[in-house]
Amino acid sequence: MATLDLRSITKSFGTASVLKGIDLAIRDKEFVVFVGPSGCGKSTLLRIVAGLEEATSGQIVIGGTDVSALAPVDRGISMVFQSYALYPHLSVFENIAFPLRVAKLSEAEVKSKVGKAAEILQLTDKLHLKPGQLSGGQRQRVAIGRSIVRNPKVFLFDEPLSNLDAALRGDMRVELSQLHRDLSATMVYVTHDQVEAMTMAHRIVVLNAGRVEQFGTPMELYHHPATRFVATFIGQPNMNLLPARVVGQDASGLTVDIDGGPRMTLPVEGRAAPGDRVEVGMRPENLHLGQGLTMKVRVLERLGGVSITYGMLASGQRLCAALPGDAPIREGEELSVAINPADAHVFDASGAVMRRTQAPALAA
Amino acid sequence: MLIERLSIWQKIGVYAATFVFLLFILMPFIEMFRVSLRPMSHLMTADFTWWSDDFSWQAYRDMWKTVPLLGLYIFNSIFIATAVTVLTMVVVVPAAYAYARLEFPFRALSLGGFLAVNMFTGAVLLIPLYRVLRSLSLLNTYWAIIIPGVAFLIPTGIWLLRSYLEKIPRELEEAAFVDGASRMYTLRRVVIPLAVPGLIVVGTSVFIGAYAQQFLFAITFNNVREIQPLPAGLYEFVGYQDVTWNEMMAAALTGVLPVMLFFLFLQKYLVAGLTAGAVKE
Ligand SMILES: Nc1ncnc2c1ncn2[C@@H]1O[C@H](COP(=O)(O)OP(=O)(O)O)[C@@H](O)[C@H]1O
Ligand SMILES: [Mg+2]
Repeated sequence: MATLDLRSITKSFGTASVLKGIDLAIRDKEFVVFVGPSGCGKSTLLRIVAGLEEATSGQIVIGGTDVSALAPVDRGISMVFQSYALYPHLSVFENIAFPLRVAKLSEAEVKSKVGKAAEILQLTDKLHLKPGQLSGGQRQRVAIGRSIVRNPKVFLFDEPLSNLDAALRGDMRVELSQLHRDLSATMVYVTHDQVEAMTMAHRIVVLNAGRVEQFGTPMELYHHPATRFVATFIGQPNMNLLPARVVGQDASGLTVDIDGGPRMTLPVEGRAAPGDRVEVGMRPENLHLGQGLTMKVRVLERLGGVSITYGMLASGQRLCAALPGDAPIREGEELSVAINPADAHVFDASGAVMRRTQAPALAA
Repeated sequence: MLIERLSIWQKIGVYAATFVFLLFILMPFIEMFRVSLRPMSHLMTADFTWWSDDFSWQAYRDMWKTVPLLGLYIFNSIFIATAVTVLTMVVVVPAAYAYARLEFPFRALSLGGFLAVNMFTGAVLLIPLYRVLRSLSLLNTYWAIIIPGVAFLIPTGIWLLRSYLEKIPRELEEAAFVDGASRMYTLRRVVIPLAVPGLIVVGTSVFIGAYAQQFLFAITFNNVREIQPLPAGLYEFVGYQDVTWNEMMAAALTGVLPVMLFFLFLQKYLVAGLTAGAVKE
């Protein structure tokens, strides 16, 4: 059982507080992705789990054992670095075999384990080469090979795909998901790319400025973002946020006047008083042609299946809509879009969400 | 190299400047070589000529008779410089690694201290060193020349190698650490192999330093002929009445020849080492 529990982890570098109390319970065999903007503390958190960095306070518990004071190798983790960290003077074979050499395994065992890893990663015919003779994707696989030979309980990845080009990244995403199924191990994966997070994760941890904004499945994050930050971070193109004023509240939901737009009654619950300022969140893909918000189209991106439309309301508020590919739109013309009230999100002045009552229900 | 991009006149300029520079540096050696070929009589009387018919290799034969221990002096020189280099590197490698990677109290201060020690030349410290070596009963042994040599070369070695080791990506060592490797294992299997060009550069400069400074320590701390290195041994060509200049020059050139050949062989590593780290791989 390789559960991973983080208990009130904090980390400061000098006076700079980088992690401000992280509590997470990661299940056995789960693929969890830490996602957040650059500098939010993802790498620091991962390095603390690995044992490369010491937490200022808090505990790391792996499989029920407190490993906070143990060396990386005794924690049963292995790590793949963003730069791959391959040893340029050693062959692919010796790179993959490195952890086994450290553990002083017999030559026969080393051969069989490296051979098996090479087979999984399709590196069998590359074992004699030096890392410098490999392509980016192959180097990445060697780095993964080095991490799997030790049969760790928990795999840690720090932005392993960020040095690859877009096409290769797509392939490697699929390979990594496949690898996770084959190895059935607990994996923690750090990225700043929400697409990687959405496609690979069982559950996603959204980090912002050293705090966990939300921890949930990709669809929970998409349909029920807990905060304004998560709502805008998850989803491509980003969610529109329209300032609005509360008019009233009853059993059917919250009635708001959107600044420079129509009055809407949205099915959400939570504490709000008439006159409160809120923001109404509308995902571009939830907007459709219809009477509601009138915008002037400034940029139109036709991708075939969909037309991404960037425009501006009369109030100066920007709006983005993802409309059908054949929608009759032209740059510079006026366009009217609408949203189904059940699809809208509402955030209060502090950025917290008001719970949607008609959104898709999701099992936790 | 960018040399292909230069115009013909720029190229001529570059080569001319290089030639003048090399001539300036090599002139003493050329003159040494000329002197070593000339007979003594010719040396004192004749006017300056670039070449003359009575040039011969005679001095290279006679020098072994004039100074019978010459072979031993040449050996001593190389032996002492090599011993100093080996001992210095044994100390410098772990020390430079510690300064490059570890945090410890007084790190910056002690590093500065090493630089400060370098400000003193050996000459300033000769008398205290003499007393130390005497109380340790090391005068007139190889150690009397080797130990001060090592001591004076360690600071430069640490400074040079530290900056080289700092260029090795930290993630390589972290990866080894995550895989369970100890500091020493990482040093041996990851850091040192990657630092080979740097080690050669530092080793070479230590060797040259050791070769150059042994004269001072030899004439001060040693009066046993059998231990004397070449620079001190050359004094034996100074007789009561005259100095056999041609043989002295021949002996000096013969003494540095093995070292020069060795450096010629190392040259390709040296050039690689001096430019390594300029480009991130
Ligand atoms: N060794 C360190 N010393 C000082 N500050 C650091 C150190 N490592 C990281 N930081 C700071 O901590 C913050 C989080 O860094 P990091 O975890 O690398 O972010 P991310 O991986 O999310 O981009 C950054 O502001 C960074 O400058
Ligand atoms: Mg990072």
